[in-house]
Amino acid sequence: MDSKYATLFEPIKIGPKTLKNRFYQVPHCIGAGSDKPGFQAAHRSMKAEGGWGGINTEYCSIHPESDDTNRVSARIWDEGDVRNLKAMTDEVHKYGALVGVELWYGGPHAPCLESRQTPRGPSQYASDFETQSYCKEMDLDDIKMVQQFYVDAALRARDAGFDIVYVYGAHAYLPLQFLSPFYNKRTDGYGGSLENRARFWLETLEKVRGAVGSDCAIATRFAVDSLSGQEGIQVEDDGMRFVELADPLVDVWDVNVGVIAEWGEDAGPSRFHRMGHQLPWQRFIKLVSKKPVLGVGRFTDPEKMVEVIRAGQLDIIGAARPSIADPFLPNKIKEGRVDDIRTCIGCNVCISRWEIGGPPMVCTQNATAGEEYRRGWHPEKFEPKKSDDTILVVGAGPSGSECARVLMERGYTVHLVDQADKIGGYVNNVASLPGLGEWGYHRDYRETQLNKLVKKNRDSQIALGAKPLDVDGILGYGADKVVIATGAHWNRDGNSALTHAPIPGINADLPYMVTPEQIFAGSKPIGKRVLILNADPYYMAPSLAHKLAEAGHEVKVATGVDLGRYMHFTLEYPNIRRLFNELNIEIISDVWASRAEEGRIELYDVWGDGHKIQFNGVGQSPRTENRTHKWHEFDTLVLVTGRSSNVSLFRGIKERQSEWASNDIKGVYLIGDALAPKLIADATFDGHRIAREIEEANPQYPQPYRREVAVWGVAHMPGATSEIRYRL
Amino acid sequence: MKILVPVKQVEILDEDFDVQDDGRSIDPDCIEFELNEWDDYSWETALQLMEKHEGTVEAVPMTVGDESADDGLRKCLAKGGERAIRVWDDSVAGSDPIAIARLIAAAAKKEDAQLVLAGTQSTDQAHGQTGIAVAALLGWPHVAVVSALDYSAADGKLTVRRELEGGVEEEIEVALPAVLTIQLGINEPRYASLRGIKQAKTKTVDLLSPADLGVSTDQLGETGSAARVRRMYIPERSKAELITGTPPEQVKRLIEIVNELKGA
Repeated sequence: MDSKYATLFEPIKIGPKTLKNRFYQVPHCIGAGSDKPGFQAAHRSMKAEGGWGGINTEYCSIHPESDDTNRVSARIWDEGDVRNLKAMTDEVHKYGALVGVELWYGGPHAPCLESRQTPRGPSQYASDFETQSYCKEMDLDDIKMVQQFYVDAALRARDAGFDIVYVYGAHAYLPLQFLSPFYNKRTDGYGGSLENRARFWLETLEKVRGAVGSDCAIATRFAVDSLSGQEGIQVEDDGMRFVELADPLVDVWDVNVGVIAEWGEDAGPSRFHRMGHQLPWQRFIKLVSKKPVLGVGRFTDPEKMVEVIRAGQLDIIGAARPSIADPFLPNKIKEGRVDDIRTCIGCNVCISRWEIGGPPMVCTQNATAGEEYRRGWHPEKFEPKKSDDTILVVGAGPSGSECARVLMERGYTVHLVDQADKIGGYVNNVASLPGLGEWGYHRDYRETQLNKLVKKNRDSQIALGAKPLDVDGILGYGADKVVIATGAHWNRDGNSALTHAPIPGINADLPYMVTPEQIFAGSKPIGKRVLILNADPYYMAPSLAHKLAEAGHEVKVATGVDLGRYMHFTLEYPNIRRLFNELNIEIISDVWASRAEEGRIELYDVWGDGHKIQFNGVGQSPRTENRTHKWHEFDTLVLVTGRSSNVSLFRGIKERQSEWASNDIKGVYLIGDALAPKLIADATFDGHRIAREIEEANPQYPQPYRREVAVWGVAHMPGATSEIRYRL
Repeated sequence: MKILVPVKQVEILDEDFDVQDDGRSIDPDCIEFELNEWDDYSWETALQLMEKHEGTVEAVPMTVGDESADDGLRKCLAKGGERAIRVWDDSVAGSDPIAIARLIAAAAKKEDAQLVLAGTQSTDQAHGQTGIAVAALLGWPHVAVVSALDYSAADGKLTVRRELEGGVEEEIEVALPAVLTIQLGINEPRYASLRGIKQAKTKTVDLLSPADLGVSTDQLGETGSAARVRRMYIPERSKAELITGTPPEQVKRLIEIVNELKGA
């Protein structure tokens, strides 16, 4: 081990337990909860195997009154949940890590869509996070009852094998709702002064500690500053004072900033936040606490981690996203393999799945995240090749480079070919957008690994800056299998999800109309007045608006879909909208284009036709005509209307399928954006997946994965029944 | 016309490496071998001549090295050509560039080659001598650091260009037989296809000993070399220092450093 990182591997005592090192996976969602115990156990234990000293569940509901459906929390409501969560604690313990559970009561932020219960809170208010969700103001009996929910859950957690039990008060969940004057308007002993507002949290900690404190370390997660000034908690005021009050009841502090309604200031996307972005607030806690303090900040660089600990800002490096991108981050640091770290790019696509509510987590960098149990994928270990087939991968973008990497890891002879001089494909363009430089880590990881792997097999080759391969070139290449990863392009004719047809007058060959690729290439001058025509739901239009406005252009975005819709899920939306205001970027919402000419485009309100439908005969619209069309002027029109796969090469090869056998070609497959335009995470997954399954009869189509579903006839609760019974 | 293309497997050092106890070489565990970068360009030049003058030009890669050097020859053959030559026996070990050139020159004669295309230099030793020494030993004209080349089969002449200082280019006409050393960037070396790599495995590599070439062992190895490595070492590195503190503190430290350097 490199001695300069020794600090990170020093054990530290937290209450009755000892954490073996300073790497701690804070509670974070994955979509497993307690209903997918295999997913939960395999994903968390993978990190324990990779060297993390502490591992947690996601937030874990203590009672049906805190039901976050459709978002997936863990639950520890009954013995059935204990049984399922024990699968995780048992697996994690095999690797000597401590395992924690974040006991959670959400108040009105949890809408109880499944349980149909009514959440309770310190006062009655509507959630500033969830739609249409109010709580009941607690009376003194309610307070005792809810505190008992915590105690009962803590006892179950101990039985499930957890070493660390949290009382979760960050992200403005219940304990913080009591503490914060933004929520707490009480005038009794639980409201008003700090001591009163702190009472609920302190009493709860005391009760939980009394119940399980001799067996388990007691943690609390505390958002030490609400980032809303006097309305909420401020670290140098209530924040530090609360830590002083609660310090005797807590074995370890897990501190961050912000509230759930805008938790992108905590789980900061790299677009807006660098590593350690919360330290200006977190650093105050060690000034008043005698207990170990941990916190997150997308720490991926061991030098920074050491610096933070040596400077006395934190004792333990908390991480969620870096542990997803690289479950083996601690071991790689320990083994001096820093260049093998799959650095989190801070895109927040992991978080997006929780925000969408339901789907399992995915990771742009780590295609195996979430696939540990159901597909049996280990991020660092690979099944040896099952044949001597040689494989040609055409295109070194996210999908092709990942495919080649995994095939090489498996021992295959691989040729990766790209016209570009650099690995990365589309990522090289995306990473040049404002704030997205760290997305380039996706390319960097693959570039580093491929350059290492190619040296292990004399017959493998990375052919960059290569002459474009045509159909004859591929047929005669001598590969047994061919994987086509030629990517996608932005539509040049205005075709979009809205009309599925070209827009008259739109043509990217014209000097005053540009696609994103043409902007990246710098191949056309951009005029003063820019109009971006958008039908893409993610970052491209907002990023180009940002880039062009910063370069001094007057930018308007005409959008037919919710602009930056997916950026709500990645927590980038609030700050990109603030940035739009700062840069005077104008948004014209709910419009689409009927035609365009030099210097102007005709837009109409997408809801401008009549609201009533009636059958008017063939060839007649069932609605009255849309008469909202208006001309808007521009100097340059930017086309972010939609994407199409680059499939001409694949189609050309497919047309000559009869010649495959005579050229010793066993199969030609299509992956990534070339298959269908998709998230970088999904393109990376495609490449990884086909590399893992290349020997299958038809690797184009995925093998079934193991599903975790309730099995008919098997009751969730031990001793219960699954029989259909009515109360008659 | 036959073109002989001498190539070399060069040493690529790991990030961390050690000098061996003899103080004259690098620990072999810290070394990987790959084909010299310049040789990619000289071999591509030969392949292009062979393709342009199909049927009348033959290109043969050769190397001086032990069995492991076959990798470099196969890499060439994966892109084209039918056979290669490797020259080796134990007496060759420790040869300097001139001794190596004796073997290449002898091979050129034995092969009846009219053109030798060498790389300008190797990335590991960077002597830049071998190709020119071959010309001297053969008594053939030579042009070094060639950046463009045209061959006229009709009059058996080469027109080559060299880049000089200050952006000046020199054009030279040279009669065959001749030796050229090829500069990077003269062309864009092709990549081998998988088919090429597979076929290269079955192509012939003729193994010749110095005796086969009529070169006596006293012309080779340390005894046959005028130059030998006396010492190999890692030069002492000067240290950089980040000067921090208030401006007066920084000035104080700066003066200290200046005085230290002055020896005051």
